[in-house]
Amino acid sequence: MKQNSKIKDPLTRVTREAMLKAKQYGFSDMQLAHIWGSTEKALRQLRKEIGVIPVYKTVDTCAAEFEAHTPYHYSTYDQENESVRTDRKKVIILGGGPNRIGQGIEFDYCCVHGVYALAEEGIETIMINCNPETVSTDYDTTDKLYFEPLTLEDVLNIYDHEQPLGVIVSFGGQTPLKIAKSLEDHGVKILGTSSEGIDIAEDRERFGALLRKLKIPHPMYGTAYSVTNAVLVAEQIGFPVLIRPSYVLGGRAMEICYNSDAVREYMKKAVDVSPDHPVLIDRFLEDAFEFDVDAVCDGKDVLIGGVMEHIEEAGIHSGDSSCVLPPYMISEKNLEDLKIHTVRLAKALKVIGLINIQYAMKDGVVYVLEVNPRASRTVPFVSKAVGLPLAKIAAKVMVGRTLEDLGVKDFDYQKVKHISVKEAVFPFSKFPRVPVFLGPEMRSTGEVMGIASEFGAAIAKAQMGAGNTLPTEGKIFISVNNSDKNEITLEIARGYERLGFSFVATEGTSRFLCEHGIPCESVYKVNEGRPNIVDLIKNGEIKLVINTPLGEESRYDEYSIGWAAIEQKVSFITTLSAAASAVKGIEQQKSHGIEVRSLQEYQKGIPATT
Amino acid sequence: MPKRTDIKSILIIGSGPIVIGQACEFDYSGTQACKVLREEGYRVILINSNPATIMTDPELADATYVEPITPAVVEKILEKERPDAILPTMGGQTALNIAVALADSGVLEKYGIELIGAKLEAIKKAEDRELFQDAMNQIGLESPRGRFIHTMEEALEVAEEIGLPIIIRPSFTLGGTGGGTAYNLHEFREKVEHGLTSSPIRQVLVEESVIGWKEYELEVMRDLRDNVVIICSIENFDPMGVHTGDSITVAPAQTLTDKEYQVMRDAAIKIIRQIGVETGGSNIQFAINPVDGRMIVIEMNPRVSRSSALASKATGFPIAKIAAKLAVGYTLDEIPNDITKETPASFEPTIDYCVVKIPRWDFEKFKGVDDTLGVQMKSVGEAMAIGRTFKEAFQKALRSLEQGRFGLGADGKDVFDIRNLPEGKRDEIKKKVMDRLKMPKPNNVFYMRYAFQLGVSIDELFRVTKVDPWFLYNIKQIVDCEEELYGYTV
Repeated sequence: MKQNSKIKDPLTRVTREAMLKAKQYGFSDMQLAHIWGSTEKALRQLRKEIGVIPVYKTVDTCAAEFEAHTPYHYSTYDQENESVRTDRKKVIILGGGPNRIGQGIEFDYCCVHGVYALAEEGIETIMINCNPETVSTDYDTTDKLYFEPLTLEDVLNIYDHEQPLGVIVSFGGQTPLKIAKSLEDHGVKILGTSSEGIDIAEDRERFGALLRKLKIPHPMYGTAYSVTNAVLVAEQIGFPVLIRPSYVLGGRAMEICYNSDAVREYMKKAVDVSPDHPVLIDRFLEDAFEFDVDAVCDGKDVLIGGVMEHIEEAGIHSGDSSCVLPPYMISEKNLEDLKIHTVRLAKALKVIGLINIQYAMKDGVVYVLEVNPRASRTVPFVSKAVGLPLAKIAAKVMVGRTLEDLGVKDFDYQKVKHISVKEAVFPFSKFPRVPVFLGPEMRSTGEVMGIASEFGAAIAKAQMGAGNTLPTEGKIFISVNNSDKNEITLEIARGYERLGFSFVATEGTSRFLCEHGIPCESVYKVNEGRPNIVDLIKNGEIKLVINTPLGEESRYDEYSIGWAAIEQKVSFITTLSAAASAVKGIEQQKSHGIEVRSLQEYQKGIPATT
Repeated sequence: MPKRTDIKSILIIGSGPIVIGQACEFDYSGTQACKVLREEGYRVILINSNPATIMTDPELADATYVEPITPAVVEKILEKERPDAILPTMGGQTALNIAVALADSGVLEKYGIELIGAKLEAIKKAEDRELFQDAMNQIGLESPRGRFIHTMEEALEVAEEIGLPIIIRPSFTLGGTGGGTAYNLHEFREKVEHGLTSSPIRQVLVEESVIGWKEYELEVMRDLRDNVVIICSIENFDPMGVHTGDSITVAPAQTLTDKEYQVMRDAAIKIIRQIGVETGGSNIQFAINPVDGRMIVIEMNPRVSRSSALASKATGFPIAKIAAKLAVGYTLDEIPNDITKETPASFEPTIDYCVVKIPRWDFEKFKGVDDTLGVQMKSVGEAMAIGRTFKEAFQKALRSLEQGRFGLGADGKDVFDIRNLPEGKRDEIKKKVMDRLKMPKPNNVFYMRYAFQLGVSIDELFRVTKVDPWFLYNIKQIVDCEEELYGYTV
């Protein structure tokens, strides 16, 4: 190509033409900064100086043949700007970007609610998002839609053009939060909780100091910068520990280690540790119960939207755990602790808007695990369960309303009479042969909700909605690890027995059940002979599989059993607490069947029809 | 035609939890449908088990059931609410399957409920492979040749008829396990045998391979007066063999001649009429052999789909909203276009820009999973970008994905620094790059950049990837532009 002659003169200072061509070819300021050994900030400055700034064109369905009335825009480097800035008060809401595991539709829900709320307050709403699947990118939803990447460069360009009151970054999940600090550095006003508050919540040292000051219990923790250091820190904290890299969020590459060897192994294979990328080590509270609280704070008062109890025990990512609202196994005192901690933390962090706090309860003590001063994945679930639009309330609070004048200051979620259960949905059937046991790394893609007046019925509905309709009769395959060969397991087994189920198990579990007076057939493990347990599942003889993970030595069996169950669409339960709640679900299903009731009826307190 | 007054209440079925292949696009379509039908004065009843959806906000319907989407539960709701009609085309395959189950079991008849948006017969014609093949034959269009077989003898007969390579797809196996492509007869026997064993009902689909062909989609809408409009054409950057949901897609189609496009357009109109979708939108997929231009019809979705959401956002034409209005009797010429207010929905959208969608995968969450892309969708999300040219939209889409990339490389995240490669290493790296490009995988476009930087020609890259040379040429232009930029300083 003829332009290539320019390459020979490396000293040419970049011309407007060259810069314009690069931008028209879609190069970002980041790329240009990399190519020219500059910084994004300096590059942006230079680009503006030489007059290369984007214009906004309209998506008008008719290639500009007719006048368009709906402001739906995209940026390009061309002549003539078609996006007219109004003189109304306006706010930019940043969307969640592409869906991924850990960040999905929940955040779009929050963004859209933010938009609705601000519209009610008479404020012009401007949405920036790049995910075509969403409601937030429907040009009908907002006053103005920019279909643009959620990068610093693209958001700043729109900010420069629109001159809004401020930007809301706390509804779109991690995406907008990642650029919040840089936006602020460029003089952008962030609405809601200050970046100072966000920083305290995210910086372990600062957050630890705050908890100590407030005398709120938290699990022991530490930070390690090398492999040897990690082992030392873990030993100081005491095993088991939860270990993860600091620079990824959403439970990625997180593991629970029970001894120093496991820590060494983890550090070797999973992490590229360096002084810039330390690993975080926390004491893992084994067998603790976990809770999630979603609340809204206006700086003065705190509205607790709801408290959810995880059904699976600690160690399973909150996004993968099923949960129930209101909580069902917590003392009045502990519930009060949760409330008090939530109020104190929200105020201490000067939260304006949503806050989500994760707690663990062990031996009657409530520990704070994590605080997120922003919209959480559970906001839509809580809002639907308690009938209060939390994201909307939060958006209004961010533009100056108070909980008091919105009339929700004294809301009490405990007055809600029905039970709501959330269950996660996994993509395992699309990924043959991946491990099917749950852990601290989130892998679910979606969720369903079951609502009923009884816990059992809500569980049964949630399971059914997730595609694992619980059986009401037949044979259960049960296999539990040695530490689960206890009274809890027996209790659960007796529950199923009362409901008329029979059992089949491999040798260890079978002997354990029989010794305690629960009849149980015995079956071969996969490598012991045939017909084995996988044959039984494939023959459709098993209606439910309860299999708590046994560890390394029986991994092969567990894979085969898990996969046979998934292929045959047999309900598959991997924790004792889920097995226990399923008993209640089956019991309810057998005695009452499934009742249907609309959200509108729940809100009016109208009973269900069978 | 004015809207129907013989129906007063309508049940909309949602798509349930977000799973791979069925994401929030159906919240978008369902929300639009709820809004429109209520505006038109109908009582709207909704079922969706997914609490994170906007459509399940209690303000959007008269009765919102957050209940499991199973035939039994939906029947209970029908019994209680007694709607006059069900609109099953907004909730993806889930909703369509439920509607078919309820029709087949006689429940709809029992309660006197009508399916609107798509009739049972049309749904079955579109979804049953053999009925679909017959329908295409009747209007003189080709679909992939092949059929279901249950024995090796039958399989060999089909192989004789259509010739190799052949795709073998066992029925009812998960993740396409037991399937594959056979290039010789020995391999064919092996794979059929394996397929028959893996299929629980010992049934295998033996089908002509169209891997490597160019892939297109048209979004089509039809009303009760038989007006048909084409909303948008979409071209897949990745050739046939990669699921549309896992392909980079571009709107409007970029590499068809006007004549080719008109042939496809005419075919789409014939198809929607032949299948008998009377009111609403459909998505029709075509494959074109890059060698001889032969066009075949791959499949048709008689409902709002993931591609309709993309087409709506790409054009500004609200497919779900219009589909809901058509379902209650309006015709395209009676519905105003909200964006222009002047033109009716019967005006086909025109696009003077380019739209690129790129999928996003989360393979690192699933240890040991094969990240090769194939006929089963594996991506969990997507980003779309709009620009004046393909190049601009493509780079914007890459940085929209939020995977730490800021465009097509040159952002400090490249695996290979080709510009500063020692001379002796080039051949080794080139081999690595070209080997990688033999299989469709996420991030292959970055490897295409490396290939061009290493001096690989468009022809050579086309031979390996089967990506249309026009797209490759555009990528090369980006790479060349980058090279020019190194000639400047700030």
